[in-house]
Amino acid sequence: MELPPALSSSSSSPPFTFSSRRIFLPKEDEFFEDGDIYRHLYLRDAITSVGEVERPKVSEFCCHIAGCSQLFDTLENYEHHYNTFHRNVCSSCKRSFPSSHLLDIHILEWHDSLFQILAAKQNMYICLVESCTEKFKASSDRKKHLVKVHGYPSDFRFDKPKKPKRNQKNQDRSPHDMDVETSNCQKETNSLFCQIAAESVEPVETMEAESPPVSEQENPSTLVQQRPSYSYRVPATICFGHGSVRGFKNPRKKK
Amino acid sequence: MIRGTGPGIRSRNRVCGVEEIKARRRQQERALRKARKEKQLVSKRLPRGLQGDGEEMEIRETSVTQEEVLQLYQRIQHGSDDRLAALRSLHQVLQLKEAQQMFVRFENSIRVLIGLFTSNLASVQLKAAQCLLELSHSDDPSISLVCLPATPYLLTYLSGQSAKFTELCLYILGNLAAENEAVRNQLLLQGVIQALAICLQSPHGAVVEAAAYSLSQMLQAKEAGEKIIPAVLEANLTPHLIRLLDLDSEFGMQTAVECAWCLHYIVSSGVNCECMISQNLIRQAVILLIALGKAIESGITTDGVELLIYPVARCLGNLIVSNGPARSKVQPHASDVLRALSTFTSRFLQSRPFVTRECLWLLNNLTAGDEQFCSAIFHLNLVPVFLQLIPFSGGINTLACVSFANQSGISALEAIQYNSNEEIRVRANYLMDRYFTHKAPRCLEMGKFLNLSISFPFWLILDF
Repeated sequence: MELPPALSSSSSSPPFTFSSRRIFLPKEDEFFEDGDIYRHLYLRDAITSVGEVERPKVSEFCCHIAGCSQLFDTLENYEHHYNTFHRNVCSSCKRSFPSSHLLDIHILEWHDSLFQILAAKQNMYICLVESCTEKFKASSDRKKHLVKVHGYPSDFRFDKPKKPKRNQKNQDRSPHDMDVETSNCQKETNSLFCQIAAESVEPVETMEAESPPVSEQENPSTLVQQRPSYSYRVPATICFGHGSVRGFKNPRKKK
Repeated sequence: MIRGTGPGIRSRNRVCGVEEIKARRRQQERALRKARKEKQLVSKRLPRGLQGDGEEMEIRETSVTQEEVLQLYQRIQHGSDDRLAALRSLHQVLQLKEAQQMFVRFENSIRVLIGLFTSNLASVQLKAAQCLLELSHSDDPSISLVCLPATPYLLTYLSGQSAKFTELCLYILGNLAAENEAVRNQLLLQGVIQALAICLQSPHGAVVEAAAYSLSQMLQAKEAGEKIIPAVLEANLTPHLIRLLDLDSEFGMQTAVECAWCLHYIVSSGVNCECMISQNLIRQAVILLIALGKAIESGITTDGVELLIYPVARCLGNLIVSNGPARSKVQPHASDVLRALSTFTSRFLQSRPFVTRECLWLLNNLTAGDEQFCSAIFHLNLVPVFLQLIPFSGGINTLACVSFANQSGISALEAIQYNSNEEIRVRANYLMDRYFTHKAPRCLEMGKFLNLSISFPFWLILDF
């Protein structure tokens, strides 16, 4: 911080004049050092903060949504479950999505009968990044954009191609389902990834903005090669050509 | 790159003496100062309450073997009831730096963890998020940066409605943002600013606080002026930050503190602040300071209230430097602001001198060239308050002098007459003796230092 120069002790030096003035201090100024250090000590939890919040404890309870039987032992876990998997739910196919943006895109691309028609004439595939206003001709273009511009991984979980008409009866659970209390809503999402009749609609690439799909160990791409127990799973990005099954096969249903 | 070291793990097994704690704290401060001088000051946050399950987080061991970590890693890969238990243990163990190092080096461990983070089982997802938070909190970039592939998911989840999960994601993002420019660029490309804007409007206080914290990490960056602040202004984030500078807000002081820091970083970058002034920033800041001043005066103090005072004072101090609407907005509250500032300066002089110093800087900016403020100081009889500060070192005395010297001569004369008793003369002498004598000034120069127009009355005082 600049202050008026110190007094001169020599009698012949010109008289000092002080002028009052306002001083602007940029954030890196040395003047702010002590305050900044204090702030950082606070961040590191080294000093008391201004009030803490108590989180209440509860005993185990169950989700009350019909068909969902997950158990919880804290309110937060339950709240998280409810807010993540019972909100932003598509009324047509009952899939849930992490955000309303992704839900909207899903409804548009999956359940809007006009969508395909319009998509042929104009760019209808909206970018998944909410603040991005770009639109694309095809799902693949959108994926390229996500990777190139937004630095998304090519196996982004919420950008899976739409499966052709699926067999509704195929409700088998993967042998590695974790939870004994797997909910029906989870079963619904599982079925998506079960074997699909290949002869149906040609694999149109639309987005599958699925909420964390299938069961836990579901980890597309490189994971597959490392551990033999998951060798039946095929990364979504690999296509075996027209008419082949895309997605994740259930080993028990191998043809 | 040197960073200040963190406080380390709280081990309940070891008994820490008070001296040990103090020594550690001093060492930590030294490291932080050094880091700041080198412009490498990075700190991260890990609210302990967030990492519990509603139960105490016990750390039973202070060390762990590679075999133990490997076992946990294997257990979390198999879909079974055991997975959640293994995740819980992993989470505990990841508080240890050595365990973090071991874990991230296992093949595909991070992919597995991120996969669990996107699972559709709530408890698993939350636990995995807590693990990621521990990793992101590390001061070793080779550990924290492994969380980078999770950013698209983190940002996607910010639009969700699960409060605790969102809060976790925000702290992970904030910690990552503190790392380096490349990370911040990636986050910008993935829409972090707009995502934070949504979170700032959340009805959950913890989410708002976490969002403001993450934003402050973005704004603190060296490159913030060119890249981040324009984006923040354009995304119209500032009205939310300003609105939250409110003691009566349901979200509490901690949230206001984070918002104050965000605003300070924006204002002190030198950017044009007109839009923020029109969004009521001055009014909010002034009212807040006045309220805090009154609270302290009436004895209702909370620990750590200074955490809110000085970032707000910084905002105000820089905002009123230029002439214009900013200064006129403070005028109606002149007396109250001055009173609050005098409360702060005396209250924190001993315990937190930097607070006093920064308040005096604000005072300087308020009074410089401003007759109204100067006369207000005299009318409120605040001169003795500031004179008291003069003997103290550390830049405070020069500031007090400067503030004092900002006052116009005629008002000074009035004050001297009003206080034409022993007290002010003694104080003025003290001032001269303590501060000016060693520079062997002559009275004339001394008077000129203070102000031409008040040199005369000082001559009167000194003329014995």
